[in-house]
Amino acid sequence: MSRAPMRRFAMLVDTPYIPASALEVEAQKAFEPPGAGPTFGRRFATLALRGGALAVFLGVLIVFSVTAPFFLTVGNIGNVLGQSAIAGVLAIGLTIVIIAGGSNVVTGGIDLSLAANMGLSAAVYATLAQAGHGDGVAIAGALGTGLAIGAVNAAAVTLAGIVPLLATLAVMNVVAGLELVLTQNTVVPASGAFLSTLSAGGPFGIPVLAYLLLGFTLAVAAIVQYTPLGLRLYAVGAFPDAARAAGLPVKTFVAGSFLASGLCGGLAGILSVSYLSGSTTGAGDMLLPVVVTALLGTVFSRRLVPTITGTLLSVLFVGFLINGFQLLNISSTLVSGVQGLLILLVVSATTVLGRKENV
Amino acid sequence: MANVAVSSFSRGVARSALVAALAAVFILFAALAPGFLSGANLLSVLVNNFALLAIVAIAMTFAVSAGGIDLSVGTAVDFSSFAFVSLVLAGQPVALAALGGLAGGALVGLFNAVLIAGIGISPFLATLGTLFVGRSVQQLLTNGGNPVYLPPAGVPEAFRFLGQGTLAGIPVPLLVAALVIGGAWLVLSRTRFGRVALATGIQASVVRYSGLRLPRIAAATYILVSTIAAVVGLILTSTVTVYIPSSGNAFLLNAIGATFIGTTFDPHGRPNVPGTVLGVLLLGIVANGLLLSGLNFYWQQVGTGLLIFCVLAIGFANRKAAGRA
Amino acid sequence: MIGTAGNGEAIIRLENIVKHFGGATALSGASLTVVRGSIHGLVGQNGAGKSTLIKLIAGLHRPDEGRLEIDGRSYDRLTPHLAEELGIHFIHQDRLLVPTFTVGEALFLGRELRFPGTPFLDRGAMRRKSAEVLERYFGLALPHSALIADLSAAEKQIVQITRALIANPKVLVFDEPTAALVRREADLLFQLIRRLSSEGVTILYISHYLGEIADLCDTVTVLRNGRDVATLPVAKTSAAEIGALMVNRDIGELYPKPAVTPGEVLLEVDNLALADRFDAVSFSLRKGEVLGFTGLVGSGAKEVVRTLFGLDRPTGGTVSVKGETVFCADPAAATDRHLALVPEDRRRDGVALDLSVTENTTLASLDRFSHGLIDRGAERRQTEDLVRRLQIKTDSVDALVKTLSGGNQQKVAIAKWLSRQSEIYLLDEPTTGVDIAAKVEIYRLIGELAERGAVVLVLSSDIEELLGVTDRVLVFFRGRVTRQFISSETSPDEVLADVTGAYETLRHAG
Repeated sequence: MSRAPMRRFAMLVDTPYIPASALEVEAQKAFEPPGAGPTFGRRFATLALRGGALAVFLGVLIVFSVTAPFFLTVGNIGNVLGQSAIAGVLAIGLTIVIIAGGSNVVTGGIDLSLAANMGLSAAVYATLAQAGHGDGVAIAGALGTGLAIGAVNAAAVTLAGIVPLLATLAVMNVVAGLELVLTQNTVVPASGAFLSTLSAGGPFGIPVLAYLLLGFTLAVAAIVQYTPLGLRLYAVGAFPDAARAAGLPVKTFVAGSFLASGLCGGLAGILSVSYLSGSTTGAGDMLLPVVVTALLGTVFSRRLVPTITGTLLSVLFVGFLINGFQLLNISSTLVSGVQGLLILLVVSATTVLGRKENV
Repeated sequence: MANVAVSSFSRGVARSALVAALAAVFILFAALAPGFLSGANLLSVLVNNFALLAIVAIAMTFAVSAGGIDLSVGTAVDFSSFAFVSLVLAGQPVALAALGGLAGGALVGLFNAVLIAGIGISPFLATLGTLFVGRSVQQLLTNGGNPVYLPPAGVPEAFRFLGQGTLAGIPVPLLVAALVIGGAWLVLSRTRFGRVALATGIQASVVRYSGLRLPRIAAATYILVSTIAAVVGLILTSTVTVYIPSSGNAFLLNAIGATFIGTTFDPHGRPNVPGTVLGVLLLGIVANGLLLSGLNFYWQQVGTGLLIFCVLAIGFANRKAAGRA
Repeated sequence: MIGTAGNGEAIIRLENIVKHFGGATALSGASLTVVRGSIHGLVGQNGAGKSTLIKLIAGLHRPDEGRLEIDGRSYDRLTPHLAEELGIHFIHQDRLLVPTFTVGEALFLGRELRFPGTPFLDRGAMRRKSAEVLERYFGLALPHSALIADLSAAEKQIVQITRALIANPKVLVFDEPTAALVRREADLLFQLIRRLSSEGVTILYISHYLGEIADLCDTVTVLRNGRDVATLPVAKTSAAEIGALMVNRDIGELYPKPAVTPGEVLLEVDNLALADRFDAVSFSLRKGEVLGFTGLVGSGAKEVVRTLFGLDRPTGGTVSVKGETVFCADPAAATDRHLALVPEDRRRDGVALDLSVTENTTLASLDRFSHGLIDRGAERRQTEDLVRRLQIKTDSVDALVKTLSGGNQQKVAIAKWLSRQSEIYLLDEPTTGVDIAAKVEIYRLIGELAERGAVVLVLSSDIEELLGVTDRVLVFFRGRVTRQFISSETSPDEVLADVTGAYETLRHAG
């Protein structure tokens, strides 16, 4: 007589409950995904959400173009693009960190030091420029500053093992303090050939900054959405165990994402110096709007994941909103409320739809 | 057995990292900063650099204990402040106005509770949304963000008591902070609610499978967080006799920092009231000491940031080591 | 050791491997030799060390002692990357695929296809190639845009296997590959494995199911308590012999079941139904009775337990406790009706690993210790009492539960309900991942509960265990109770025959 283990048949068969009458057709159905119904439901929900987001975007554009005649002119659109450049570069940097760190904002990817990074990089640029250094030195200084901040974040997260939310919070404090030390909390004016080129108008009366934003987005999107590197970045963030099983060095990717976002902070610093003709205080105020913008960007992607193009759309959406409100003489402070409501709406919709699917 | 000894030793180090940092900065400033040790200065540290942040950080500690975070603590401070000022301006008795202030803050918590417990949004996103919506609501209420002043003549004496009064020679804000700290410590470590919130933060599914209702726990937590933060709104308004829209957000990042610094105080890395208080104290002493040291004013923030960074790094590194052992 | 099959050279050779985790010893001198081109089975009970052994080969752990040889070369330790370079690929039990990826992306992650001469992904080529491979090996056509999250468990398993196939593996390690597959898919998998083997791929096959081993493998290694106890050619052994090697022969007799006279009816279930899961489930339980549930995954047995505890909402029928009809909308309502669930996924739902023994024990009964403030003295005394009674091995009641062994964690999960003085205990696979000594203690505990007048419902897929500890057993099949056995009047073979027999009949009918 055989022994106990012979009778352990757990998990031998995974048969859902099927009424006896349906048994005849069971065999042919074996390969059909049992989740076909819910899957369709979720696809539909995803489509609805994404379509809804785009519809809202278009709706806003239409309303503004009808009510504010100047809204839909090339000049105005160029302006919005130019004004969005700084926030756009920051949000793209944050998006990279979120992709590599996963969507859990507390334990996953977030970089709270981005806005402060921009402030310090701008201050470094302006200070160097004022001290008589050339454009090249100033640019290197700003980008180097950004990269260094990214490196500190990367080390804190991957080596010391501090959760990103806290690590970057602490770094944010240090960086903001350094900016104060450097500028004594004053405006440091800066000018130069390079800055004038950046802040000037380009072809078709569209500011150079606008072209810059589009070019930058294109380049980063090409890397993140269309190269193996980008695909791996998503794997690392979405399911680290799967990435590890595929032989990917997870920590290196996470560290790399912080370096990239640090570099974005440096770049945004340079743009802000050109836009404001110097470095100014209060960079930290950009932080939470940028976080919200990056998070909102997920609704503009097919799979509801953070994407570079989605973030750009989200940035432009906010930009157009502010611009439209200005044209209509509505207080632009309402923008933050709209952003807040939107994020709540979007997240509620995803949560509720997701829950329905689970039942 | 050797393993046990090693891990308890490293836990000991983790535990003392915060205390050691506190002792070190205290001694350092006592030696370097003229006037740091004077009674008047130490009292001013407690009143100006400690009391209000401590209360907000305690509120945050509850949210973090339950496994979440509340980015809208500042919004609760603001709503409380606005309600308080408005009711006083409308000629209501101060006590009633103060209750109204607490209710105003609690309203923010109620909104969060609906989002988190009702709809099921993650606390970070829900409270981030609340923060943004709250900012706009305040702009709307104040004609685009104008401060609401109380005319100096028309302010009842009782109004100033919370922020500027003393009781038996001790400033009232400090007494309130002590009360909140003591109460929060009891609630978090000695009551059923505190235990369940902590368990939820550690492993929510077990709490659910133990027959406890997670949505209720979350709702209670976020309403409590906002109500505690609302106390700060009252004290703040009473001190400066003005309501400035969205000013409460100034507490947010330091409150988060202090709470997480505080987790390094617990042998298991749990959020805890004494740790949070020590964290706030550390931040306060550093801010004050650097100021008195005659160092450049702006080095303050750098120093504070570096210190937070180091404490966190040591704490997390120790926890990692303990986890490996 | 009882010799090795074949004279071929070894492709994997592990010798006297020792591996400790903290205080626990996972492997204490295990050896394994896998011959090139063979289909090698690896069996053992939960906790015998199978998964640790596999993780050593995968490079996820490094051995504390012993020799590790691949293809005749000795390695100090492997890394996941090195293992892959050596041509060893794994089909893990957990499907490690990124849910937001398309099938093509998931298949090629880490070795993506690019447009020639550019750094850019050629998603089209990845899609075509994956469709081609899936079609060739499995006759499976998935929509181009399908995301991993949209696939069934079986399809994910197939994608996982295909991932390994694309890399042209020398050795394929299957870790319980049929767990999520229906029979037809499992048959396909076996065909595929034979084909790969004939193409020269070496297979290491880990499974609980001795039937599969007998069907598929040519050599089998049996692990017990962290050691290899035998390596046998399958042709010269029987499933019975393998089974006997896996356990200590004497534990079969160790079901300390006391005789209890049943009292009044405590739990009555009448025509309970949950749409698409189970239907017309009725039974009643008297005080002191122990009832067994058994059935295949998806048979409805587990779903009935979940529904009783308020985790799912029934779509029909009634549940009565002590003669009173109750409706449990959530676990909180169920626990108020004296129900207690010891869930299968102990480490997720049963105990909070980072809470102490005391905090876990009193989590469901804090009301008893809380009068405004928690009476920590009373809480501690209660816990110490239960720790003694259940013989929970822990340094102190303040130790975190994650420092306890699996069996002791399970006892804490049960202690939680004893502290609440629950009366109806639902135990879902109470002995998974628990060593044999702790199993016997859990059996004893079940008997003790019955003696104290509680009602115990045990859901288990180990039929011998079930007959040992219960009075009656209900067999579930396709959402219905198909048969009831009196535990003392039947044999494990009879019950198993009923389950698999019914299954076989159905299979032929279908």
